[in-house]
Formats: sequence, structure tokens, C-alpha cells
Amino acid sequence: MEVSISEKEGAKSLDVITLNVNGEVHQLVVEPQWTLQYVLTDKLGLTGTKEFCAEGACGACSVILDGHPVLSCMMLAIECDGGTIETIEGIARANHPLIDAYVKYSCMQCGFCTPGFIVTAKALLDRNPDPTLDEIKEAMVGNLCRCGTYPAHLRAITEAAAVLRGVVSAQGTPASAEGGAGHE
Amino acid sequence: MSEPPRKSDVWQEMLDSFDNKIADPHPLRNYEVIGKRGVRRNDGVEKATGAARYTIDVQLPGMLFARFLTSPYPHADIVGMDTSEAEKMPGVRCVLRYDDPDLAEGVAVSGHELNAVLALPGGAKFQGEECGAFVVADSEEIAENALKTIKVEWAQRPFLLDVEKALEPGAPLTHPHEFPDSNMSMVYNENHGDVEKGFAEADKILEFKWSFGYNTWVGPERPCGVWRWNGDFAEVWVKQQRPHIAKRAISTWFGGIPMCKIDLHCPYQGASFGGWSQMSWNLAGTHLAGLASKRTGRPVKWAFNRREDFYGGNMDAGVFYVKVGYKLDGTITAVSQRAVTCNQDMAVFGIVAHLIENTKIPHIAGRTEAAWVNKGPTVPTRCEMNINCYTLNLVFNHVADALGMNPVTISLLNDGAEGRDMEWLNERKAEIGFPPRDSLKACVDKGKAAIGWDEKWHAPGAKTLAGGRMHGMAFTWTHEWDDSGGTSEIGMYFERNDASVTILGCRADVGVNAETAYCQIAADELGVPLESVRFKHQEDAGFYTMTPDTSTNLAINGWAVKSAARLLKQRLLEVAVQVRGRTQLAEYPSAFPGLQPEDLDVKDGVIFEKADPSNSMSIADFIGPGGANGPVSGTAGEPFFTSQEEGLAYPMRGTPPIFEAAWHIQRGCYLGVRLRFCRQAYFMEVEVDTETGQVDVLKVVTVNDVGKVINWDGCEGQAYGGAIMGIGRGMTEEVVWDPRTGVMLNGNLLNYRIPTMMDYGEIETIMVETQMGYGPYGSIGIGEDVATVLPALIGPAVQNAIGIWIDDFPITPDRVLAALGKA
Repeated sequence: MEVSISEKEGAKSLDVITLNVNGEVHQLVVEPQWTLQYVLTDKLGLTGTKEFCAEGACGACSVILDGHPVLSCMMLAIECDGGTIETIEGIARANHPLIDAYVKYSCMQCGFCTPGFIVTAKALLDRNPDPTLDEIKEAMVGNLCRCGTYPAHLRAITEAAAVLRGVVSAQGTPASAEGGAGHE
Repeated sequence: MSEPPRKSDVWQEMLDSFDNKIADPHPLRNYEVIGKRGVRRNDGVEKATGAARYTIDVQLPGMLFARFLTSPYPHADIVGMDTSEAEKMPGVRCVLRYDDPDLAEGVAVSGHELNAVLALPGGAKFQGEECGAFVVADSEEIAENALKTIKVEWAQRPFLLDVEKALEPGAPLTHPHEFPDSNMSMVYNENHGDVEKGFAEADKILEFKWSFGYNTWVGPERPCGVWRWNGDFAEVWVKQQRPHIAKRAISTWFGGIPMCKIDLHCPYQGASFGGWSQMSWNLAGTHLAGLASKRTGRPVKWAFNRREDFYGGNMDAGVFYVKVGYKLDGTITAVSQRAVTCNQDMAVFGIVAHLIENTKIPHIAGRTEAAWVNKGPTVPTRCEMNINCYTLNLVFNHVADALGMNPVTISLLNDGAEGRDMEWLNERKAEIGFPPRDSLKACVDKGKAAIGWDEKWHAPGAKTLAGGRMHGMAFTWTHEWDDSGGTSEIGMYFERNDASVTILGCRADVGVNAETAYCQIAADELGVPLESVRFKHQEDAGFYTMTPDTSTNLAINGWAVKSAARLLKQRLLEVAVQVRGRTQLAEYPSAFPGLQPEDLDVKDGVIFEKADPSNSMSIADFIGPGGANGPVSGTAGEPFFTSQEEGLAYPMRGTPPIFEAAWHIQRGCYLGVRLRFCRQAYFMEVEVDTETGQVDVLKVVTVNDVGKVINWDGCEGQAYGGAIMGIGRGMTEEVVWDPRTGVMLNGNLLNYRIPTMMDYGEIETIMVETQMGYGPYGSIGIGEDVATVLPALIGPAVQNAIGIWIDDFPITPDRVLAALGKA
């Protein structure tokens, strides 16, 4: 059980919540104002969930809560009591085809926002296994990348979707998609 | 064992490349992975899986968290402060104050040089500046709450936000401590030829004014740092693009810390594109964390919040007055420009440098007046060449428009260098070993074809689309650059057991995929598989590379990697033919007896005799294990341990450590040190909604002559990523202050809008490889170019659409409507 230092000193009221994170059940003592993002990164050590804007504007802290993508910086941990959460670490452990596709198409530069993109894309593919490019853009528009890696994501998500549908193998021919890579 | 081959041809090769003012004199003839498509990036899995660690992710047992007090006023001194309530709060472990005796003197906290700056100043020159107090607590939240209890008595001073008003006679001083005489820190003049003569020779003169708003880097990872004392060893994690400068500064703190007692970590960097790393104060938090860590006995992490990442901005902010003389055929005879720039910490990069370096315009003058107002400092943020690129772009496009000519034609007509024409430039190329290729023409031809320039370009305001939207096309160009001077040091060795290769060289990874590129160079030079090479860049191992800024990754570090790999290969082959040693009990014979190093070569990780490739041995077998798993002999000299390994053809190894180090010196490109040969050309197609002022970028074509592509993902990523950043800078990004209070109004990502996935059209990136770069194999930097050149292209594109110049950037819908008389 996680117990905050401030609880020991009696400074704050506390709540006990249960979270199923990547298949593991955690009972946690949390303060009511703690965000889900803070609990995941600072209490559970799952630092793949990133804080970029800290106010619901960038998608870097995206996680999947009970099947829906949410911004964990905008969720209070106590709101998630009893919830099932999937973070980038869980998606990676499951060897989701998005991971390989993101590496293959070099979708990351500084990489800080990358996990949030993959989480959002995974939620998209969960509900729409064959998205069009416009549907991908619509789903991903809330994820910001300052390095400007966007064109590569379209290719990777399209290919991962095809792998999931069994249209191409993980090592198969690249799915065609618009993107930034011109060729001389 | 003989000494390393310090007098060898390989050693001479390294010396030959110093200064790199000539074409690579020792190119590699056969590329296996250099320039190959589909090379997977080294950091890909780490970053995709969330395993990549940044300084902000560091969590240590017992770690405390620190936050700064910030100023609510744009200009104020602290005359009194009561921190007693904060100090009594549960969970608060330490409060550092501006009047702490240990903080009375300036310390070296700069991202550039060893300066002397107060780590915790007693006042602020802009709203939001960190000053007064540094609260250290069990959590960020407790520190934040404690800050709210601090009672500060402020003495407000007058403030100014407008750079031109700051230079008016009698203007109140905006930075009275730093600049007590006026609000101008310096004047920087550039003169080439005689502009008055040039204007006299012109058929026509045109003048215009342009401006660029204050924009900033928006680093995804907040500025932060971590300090832990391990006894008298300092362990420090930095978000800093220049770890070698950080360590040098840290060694001067707290009475001096020997360099060997500093363990520096430079984890992955949530990029700030130069920006934050360049600030003259950016190690202050780390210094204070070190002091607090000493006092509390616990590790301390400090961090800004998101708003505080808007600490400073890009040094393109300012107001610019241009005068151009030109002939009726499009030949430009003279350009002069006066700039009033905003809070430039380094006003020495010029405003007309690209015109001088890149054209045959004979008479050019620039005057930069570096004014200071009550906003944060501005520094190179991808990059210091912004103003130079915008200037070249706007000069050429204004002249083309005035003459009714195609801007591509005008550009090709004026291409050259330092006032000389292309014929002269081609002679210089030949002199120093470059192929005399016409880089600009190659770029233009490819770009025109990709965007359909000849079919689509039209006179300004001449094409209205269905629905009333206006269509616009624009073109700009300049040279490629890798500007910094500096040195790079690289260590490289074969690992025991499997002969994989480790490259040592502490540097910040900002995501440009440079580490993969260096591994590609090492793999090809050594003749080993790419998968067996790793650049271990995050830990300080005593080798300092050049920083990722100024596009100099490859242009300096690439040379050092190449040289280190060649030395390492030479060393390997020398050891391979030598008797490696004799003891009382045994002899460790040569692996290739009777041969010379030059008789051998390496491919796919196997050493072989050139004349008889069947005489071969893998490097792994040759090197073998070390330590207690190394060669062991019985009393009769019989090797009995390693020889028993199954399948091992060569039991007695006993090889020395096979390690080499190399370095490179580059004096930099600024101020005419060397001529520029590689060009870049950009094309843009837009639509303008004349009812709403909305500008949609339909297509961008970027053509970069990178000399030689080493890593495709790196080159293309910098190009399309830079295009997207450039679109944001040119169209939406501007920090806004309330003119009445001096308070920043949009220090967040909701109101300071960077581009999303739906804010750009098609982006086509094209690479040209003329091999006219000064880097290894003829390569040249690309990291900063596109994001720097592209923003101001929005202006000519909109002008081509609506027929009206808007020279105030960013070009937001309200500015478009104002130009159309609809605001």
C-alpha cells in the first residue's frame, strides 16, 4: 500500500482506491486532489505516462480507462476507483503491433510525447480496426508533438492496423499512407 | 605491446580533417549501412515503449522536490520577505532565500560559458521570473502550497514591452542592474562592400518594414534537474543540451568539486531546440538543488511548471527596416537593414549574414540594435539564423514582386557567395576538392517538379478558387549550415566476449537520431554489423562531444567517430598479427602469423586475409573473454580453460584491450571562415479565406542538399518536423503580454498554439546529395534548417494569394483581415 508522507503527518484527508493497472491490482491511499497521472508516474513508477501541458491540451498523459482513452492529468485518481487502466507499459508488454510500427517508421524524435500517441492510437484501433487517414487524424489531433513527427504516425498506425487485421505481417510490406518521406 | 599507431596513415587522416575546410580527403568507397533506408533507430524501442527515461522521470529514495517563487510583476525588486509560515509547513524541508549568505555571490549557471549570475535573484525583470525563494518539500504539491504562504514586499519599477519604445530618449530602464545606461545592450554592425555605392548603381529602390513576434520553444519536458550527494561525490542529472558545460560549471560550485568526483547523467531530453539550454541562468535550479541537498542530506529534484517553461523565447523577435537596390533584370545591387531586436542574449549572429554568404549581392550592411524590455531573454531556438533566413526570403520575394518576376528566377540570378558569382564559387569548390555542382539549381528543379511550380505559380492576387478562397504559391531558399566551432571527443572499444562495439561520448539526445547515424559510420568503417554497435551517450565517461545545437552533430562528431573507428580497426589488425605476449609459462602467439596489418581486412565482424579470405577469424573469437574467464595456463604452460570451450578454433587469446579515442576540431563557419556550397529550396502552396482570414497550407515541398545522407530517418524527420514547427511559428505562435500589467497571457498550450496533426497539408521532403558538405563523406547539417527558413515563407505565400504584403509575423487571421481592410 502506498502511504504518502503527508498522510503520516495528518495533513490531508485520504481515500483508499483500487486500480487495475495493466492487469495488476493496486490498492492505494490517495489524496483527493491527486491526478491519475500523478499516481501512475509518482506512486506506481509508470513513467511512460508523460506530463507535457498538464491541462488537457496535449495528450502526452493518455491512458485507456475502462476501454476509453482519457487524459490522466485531467482525471482525479479517486474518480478512477475500481477502474481498469491500460498504460503504455501494458501495451508494450502485450507486444502490440503499434510498438514495432512506431519504431519501423521512426515516429519519435525527442520521444517525450510518443507513449501518449501510441496509447491514443491503440484506443483508436480497439474501436476501429480499419481507420481511414482522416479518421486517424481526427483521433490523434489531441496529441501534440513539438518535434513535428506527425506524418510518420499516419504510416505506422495504418500498418499496425493492417497487422492486427492480418492483412500484412509484422515484417510485411509497408501499408501505403500519406506522409513526409519523399524520395529522390 | 607496441604503442598505438600514432604515426600511422590513419592518424594522419584524422589530422587532415581538422578545421574541415576542404572536401573529405579520405572518403569511404563502399557503404553498407551509411545512407541505407530502413535502418531502425537505436532509441526506437525505448521511446515507443515508455521505457526512455528523462530527467523529469528520475525518482530516488528520499528525494525531495523544489519549486521557485515567481514574480507577479514585470519589473520589481524584493524589499522584504517572510518565509516563516512556509518553513513551518509539514513536509517542507528547506527554504532557500535570496538573502542567504551562501547565495550572495554570482555563480556559473549558464548554458554557454562560466558566467557569474545570482542563482536566486532578489527581483524580477519580467513577470513570472524565478526569484526570491526556492522551497524544498516532500512533494511538488507541498512545495507549491508553501510558496503561496510566502509574504513578499515588492517595490515595483516601471516596465516596457515595446522594443522601439525602449530605445526612445528618456525611456525608463528595463534592466537597470545589467544595463544602467540605456535599454540597449549592444550594437552589432555587418558591412560588406559599400551600400551607398550599391544603391547608386540600382535602377530601383524599395523599402519595407517587417516584424516577428515573440515565440518560444515549448519543450515537452519541463526544465528540471536532480542532485544527490553520495558522500563528497556529486551525482547530477541535467536537462541540458550541453552536458560538458554543465559539468564544467558544477565543478566551480560549493568551493570547487574535482571533475572526477562529479557523476553526470544526461538522460534523454524532452527537446527545447536550443532554447532553454542556451539560457544564461538555466543551471540555477540545479545549483540550488545542490545546496538544498547538502543541507537536507537528501536528493533534490527541481522543476518548472508548464507556464514557467515560457521563461524566454526565440531571438527572432524584433522590428526590421530594409532597403534594397536592384536592377530591372532582377540583379540586386545593395541591401541594408536595421534591426531592433528583443532581449537578445547573444546579438552577434547578424541579420544579413545569409545575404553575404549566399549571394553575389556586392553591397550589404546590417545594424542590430539589441534592445531590452520586460520580457524573458531570447536565445537561439532552432536557431540563431532565423533573422538571416527571413531577411533573405523577404528581400528576394519583395524584389520579385516589385519587378513582376518569378522569385525562382531572381534567386538563381543572384546565387553566389560573398558578392561573387557562381563561376567564382565553382572555382573555389574545385580548389578544395568539391565537385562543382550547382546545388541551388538541383534543389529548385526537384522542388518545382514536386509542387508543380511552373503550372501553378501566378501573379499576386490572380487566382480565385471556387468559393472565393484565394490561391497562393511561394518560394524561398538559402544555404545549408553547420555553424558551431568546437571539439568532439569519441572513445570506442571492442567489448570482451562478443566483440560488440561501444562508443563513448557524453552528449544530449534531443531526438535527431544522431546516435544511430554515428553507429552507422562506425559499423561501415570497422566492417561490423550495425546491430553490434552502440553509442552510450547518456553517461559522462570523460569524452565530450559537440552539442546537438547549430546543426553540428554530424559535421563535428561524425568526423571523430569516423577517425576513432579507423584507428580502432587499425589497432585491431596490428594486434592480430603480433605476438601478444610471453610469460614464464606460455606464449600467446599471433593469430595471423607472418602477415602484416595491411594484409588483413574486416567484413561482417570477421578478420580475414585479403589474399586468402579462408584464413579468417571472427573478431569475437580473437578478442575472447577477460578477467577470470581469460586465458588460464597450467603449470606446463598448457592452456586448459579457454581451450575447452566447445567449437573454439583459437584457444589462446589473451588480447589487450582494444580501445581507441579520436577527436576533431572545427573552427566554425561564421564570419567567412569557409564558403557555403550546399543550398536548400522550399516551396509552399496556400489557400486564403478572405472572409475569415484563415490561411491553410496545402502543400510544402522541402528540398535540402545535405551533401550525403547518412541516416534517412534523421534527415527526413528534421525536414518534415521542421516544416511543421515552421508553419506554427509563421502562423499561430506568439507569446502575448497584457500591455497594462505586463503579465503574460498565454503561457500554456491551450492559448499558445503549436501545430496539431490537422494544421498542415501535404509535406514532401526531398534530399539532394551533391557531397559538397564539409562533414564526413561530404555531409552537412540539417537539424535547424527547415524550421528556421520556412516560417517567413507564409508571408510571400499569402501575398501571392491576396496581392497584399503582410510583413508582420505570425500571420494570424486577424492580420490577414486587417490587410484586406476587413478587421
